[in-house]
Order: sequence, then structure tokens, then C-alpha cells
Amino acid sequence: MMRGFVKTLFGGRRSFLTSCACILLGVVILHTPFARLAGVVLPVALLAGAGYLAKH
Amino acid sequence: MIGAMIATFLTATVEWVEAYTIVLAVALSIGWRRALAAAGAAFLVLALLVTAGSFVLNRIGDLGVLQFIIGVFLILFGMRWLGKAIARGAGLKELHDEAREFAALRARADIFEARAAMAIAFNGVLLEGLEVWLIVVALGVQTHHTIAAASAAILALLAVAAAGAAARAPLAKLPENTIKFTVGCGILAVGTFWSLEALGYVWPLRDFALLALFMFNILGGIGLMRMSRARAA
Repeated sequence: MMRGFVKTLFGGRRSFLTSCACILLGVVILHTPFARLAGVVLPVALLAGAGYLAKH
Repeated sequence: MIGAMIATFLTATVEWVEAYTIVLAVALSIGWRRALAAAGAAFLVLALLVTAGSFVLNRIGDLGVLQFIIGVFLILFGMRWLGKAIARGAGLKELHDEAREFAALRARADIFEARAAMAIAFNGVLLEGLEVWLIVVALGVQTHHTIAAASAAILALLAVAAAGAAARAPLAKLPENTIKFTVGCGILAVGTFWSLEALGYVWPLRDFALLALFMFNILGGIGLMRMSRARAA
């Protein structure tokens, strides 16, 4: 049951890592001189991530 | 408020239908009384978890931290849903079929053993209910209408229970993938908006950015679906 609970909240390993990588990218961009681009980079990264998850 | 209620109702309906399929399969194996007892126990645990979760969320005084935590969860959740919906829409994965799920459950060897079957019903209802709770938090908190969103989720539960009681068969006619795709896009949009805003990002269009993000996800998702379909053909 605990496994199902964790999977419901955080998803599988692949989807969890993909989401975290996208969020991390957004955070990194926010701390560079290109911070204004974070609002474009994060949605694009997340959509690309969703496309990646769809394939795998 | 109406938008949040409709979105919550539709999404919760999808989840409750999945839970109903599990309870039905269990009920036809070990009887309705035991299946409903397991479902009732799951609702009780769910109520405790929701209360504990709400308590923890309310204790977080910093709105930014709260926004970030919920935003990250919404991204985790939305990306999963969108990925699955794109895969199903593109034909990379078979569409979710309640009748097939039901048949698979009925074919399980342990479904005729009372304790194992009750555990299946309990886990199914609890996990689907947890997803409903996340949707209520996502759509309710964002629109400041948590009670309305929770009411929509309960209404969806009653509607599914009534339809299930009347049909006594898997409820297979729901456009599940379309609903999951749309809600996945919405949840991902809210998660993106909140997580970046919590980190200090100022959205150029303010709240309209949310709509722009939603449209971006919808159009991008459809584009990815078409691309994947074309590549697979």
C-alpha cells in the first residue's frame, strides 16, 4: 500500500526525475541574468518532459 | 468558481469511475457487503489523511513556501497526466478501458480470497481518492473556492455511485483521455505559475499568464500528439 501511496503522490522514478530536472532548470535560469526567460523556459521544458514521458 | 467546480467534477468523475470498477470487481467476487466495507474504510483513512494534510498546509505560515510545495506537486501530477494522455492520444499506449480493467481484475487469482480482495478495494479507493484530493487542492486553492471544489468532488462521487448502482457494470463510456489531457494541461499550468511565482518570478501578464500557460500546454500537447502519431505511422 505504501508503494502505491508514494507512487500516487510522486509518480514513478522516471516521471519524478523528469519533473525535478525541469523544475531545477527553472530555478537555475531564475538565478542567471536571463531570469526573465524562466517563464518561457520552464513551460517549454515541462512540455518537452511530458512528450518524453509519453514516449517512454 | 463554476469553472473550478466543472473541472473538479469531471476529473473526480474519472477517478471515482476507476475506483468503482475496482469495487465492482471485488463485490462480484466476495459480495457487496465486504467490498463496501473496504471502500468505507478507505474513505475513513482518506478523510484522516485529508485532515492531516490540510492541517500541515494550514500550519505553513509563509504563503510563498505553500505555493511552491503545492506548485511542485501539481507539476509532478500534471506532467504525468499529460504524458499519459499524449501517449494514449498518439496511439503509443492503449486507451484506458474500464471494461478491460474490470476483466483483468476479475481474472486475478487473489480476488476470490476475502482479505486480499478487500485490500484491493481498499487500496483502489484510497489511491484514487488521494488523486481527487490533489485536484481539489489544485483547483480549489488557486481559485479560493476549496469548499466548492470539494463539493464538486463529492457530487461526482454521488453521481458515479448512483450510475454504478443503476448499471452494476463497468462505466466505460467516459471520454477519459480528453478529460485527463485537459485537466493535465490545467494542472501543469497552475503548477508552473505557482512554483515560479513562489520563487520570486513576476509573470508579465499577471493572472492572464495562467491562461496563456494553459493554452500553450493544450496546443503544445496536441502538437506532440500529432508528431508522435505521424512518427509512429
